[in-house]
Amino acid sequence: MPRIPFSMILKAHQENHLLPLLLKECRTIDSARNELRWLREQAVRDSKSLSRSRSGWRTRLRSMCQLRSRGYPLQYILGDQPFGDLEILCKKGVLIPRPETESYTYQAAKLVRQMALDSSDKSRPPSNARPLRVIDLCTGTGCIPLLLHALLAPHFQKLSITGIDISPLALSLAQKNLEHNLQLGQLTSRASTDIHFHRGNVLGNGSDDSILSIDSILQPYYLESGSSLADQTGGCDLLISNPPYISQSEFGNGTTARSVRLFEPKMALVPPSLVTGDEHGRPEDIFYHRILALALKLRAKITVLECGDIVQAKRVVALSETLASMESGQFSAEVWPSCERDLLENGFHATDGSRGVIIRRLP
Amino acid sequence: MPNFAILPYRLSANLNLDNFTSNVLQTATMLPRLRGLASQIATQTRLFSQTPTTPAKNLPPRLKINDADLTISYLKGTGPGGQKINKTNSACQISHKPSGVVIKCQATRSRAQNEKIARSLLADRVEALLKGDQSRVAIKAEAARKKKASKLKKTRRKYRELEGKEGDADGNGKVMVEEEIPEGEGEVGVQGKEEKEVEVETRIVEESKRSGKGV
Repeated sequence: MPRIPFSMILKAHQENHLLPLLLKECRTIDSARNELRWLREQAVRDSKSLSRSRSGWRTRLRSMCQLRSRGYPLQYILGDQPFGDLEILCKKGVLIPRPETESYTYQAAKLVRQMALDSSDKSRPPSNARPLRVIDLCTGTGCIPLLLHALLAPHFQKLSITGIDISPLALSLAQKNLEHNLQLGQLTSRASTDIHFHRGNVLGNGSDDSILSIDSILQPYYLESGSSLADQTGGCDLLISNPPYISQSEFGNGTTARSVRLFEPKMALVPPSLVTGDEHGRPEDIFYHRILALALKLRAKITVLECGDIVQAKRVVALSETLASMESGQFSAEVWPSCERDLLENGFHATDGSRGVIIRRLP
Repeated sequence: MPNFAILPYRLSANLNLDNFTSNVLQTATMLPRLRGLASQIATQTRLFSQTPTTPAKNLPPRLKINDADLTISYLKGTGPGGQKINKTNSACQISHKPSGVVIKCQATRSRAQNEKIARSLLADRVEALLKGDQSRVAIKAEAARKKKASKLKKTRRKYRELEGKEGDADGNGKVMVEEEIPEGEGEVGVQGKEEKEVEVETRIVEESKRSGKGV
C-alpha cells in the first residue's frame, strides 16, 4: 500500500482535525471527507436519541473515527448499509453486503422477469402456477432474498424465497433485517410469509453434525430424474449465491483488504479446507462444485454465482459445462458483466475485481 | 409531530373555553392576515397557524430527460472488488450527451439514492441551460430571494417599531433619532429611503394601537 504523502495529511488536518485519522483507512481525502460526514450525522443522531448521554456527539465522533482508523468497517460503526432501496443492518460477525452483490441481484431479478415473460407468452396463464421459487445459499445478512423480494413482488403473485446460512448469528440478523425493512416500508407485508431463512450446511453431508445438511432442507424441491412435469411441484427458478470464494493465499497476501481481513468473519470469506477436498480441485472453488451439483438436482432455470475475479469465473463456467455435459438438457453459461457497458454501468473494474457467472437452462 | 408550543393554549382552552375562543376571534378579526381563518379557528384546536393561505404559483413541470441520452456510471474502486475489499464510496456519475453536462453525486452511501439525486440535479442543470430565467431553478431562486427580502424588511420594521416604543416610554426617542440623522446625512438617496420607512412605521403604530384597544 503506497504511503500517504505528508502534504495530503497536512491538507486534511487543516480542513478538519479528524480527517487524518480517517485518511489512514480511506486513502483519499475525498472519501475521508464523505466518511467523516456520515459519521458526524450518525454521532449527532445518536446523541439526540440518547437524551441523557454522558458525552456529547463530538466525543462520540472522535471515538468513531479512531475505530475507523484502525480499519474497523464503517458499516459496523454505523450499523447499516444501503442495498438497493433497502437498509441492511450490519453486525460484527456477519459479512457486509457489497455493491457488486447488489448488481448481481438486480441482474438476476431482470433475468427472472425476462424468463417469466418469455414463458407466459408461449403457454399457460401465470396465475394458477406454482410460486416462483428462489433459493439463496450463504445468505449472510439476508440482503439478496430481501432485495429480490422487493424487486419481484410487484410482478409475481406468488413468491417463495429461501435463504440458507450456516451461521446462527447471520440468520438472526437476516430475520431482523426482514422485520426492519418491513417496518421501513421497503418490503410489502407479504415478505414475512414469502421469505424464509433456514440454518443449513451447504458443504455438509448431513450425517456427521447437528446442523442440517442442505439436502434435508431442499428435499421437497428435488425432482426425480424421470419426472417430466418439471414445473409442477419441485424445481427452482433461481438459485443464487455469494459463497466464500477467497483462497487462503489471497486472504493473507494483501489482496484482501486489512479491514476485511481483520474484522469481517473469515467463515464468510474463505472456504474451509476439507480433508477430502482433493478431488474438487482448488480449495477456494469447493462451494461452486457443491452449488452447481445442487443446481442440477433442483433443475434451477437460472443460477447466479458471485466469483472473486475473472479467472475464477472462467473456472466456474468450465466446471458448469463439464457437469452439464453429463446431464440431459442444454445450458448456457456466461461471465457477467463482460461487455464494457455493463461493467461501467454497474461499477465494476475493467480488468480486476469480482465477476458473476450466470447459468441458464435452455428450454 | 406534536407541536409543544400549542399545548399550554390547549390547556387553557379546556379550562376556560368560552372566554378563550371569543378572545381569539377578536384578535383574529383585528389581524387581517388571520381573518380568513376565523371560522376554522372556532372549530379547530390548532389555532395559531402562521402558514399563508394562498398557495404558491405552480412551477413549470420538471424536464423529462431521455434515458438514452444518459450514461450512468458508478465510481469503480481501485483494486479487486467483491468480498476482498469493503468499499464505502458509491458515487454515481451521470453525463448527459447532448448538453455535455456531467453530474457526480456522493451525498449518501446508497447507490440508488445517489443516482436519484444526480438525476434530479442533472435535470435542473439541463433545464437551466435550456430555458435560463424561465427554468424551475431560476424561478425557485427568485421566489426565495423575494421571501428573504420581505422577511428582512419585516424584521427591520419590527425593531424600528420597538425602538420607537422604548422612546415613548422613557424619552430616549429623541436622542435616538438625533443619532440616526447624522448617519444618514450627505446621501440624498438614503434620506429619501428613510422617509419612506417612517411612513410605513406610522401606519403600523396605528394598527398596533387599534389592536391594543381590541384586546
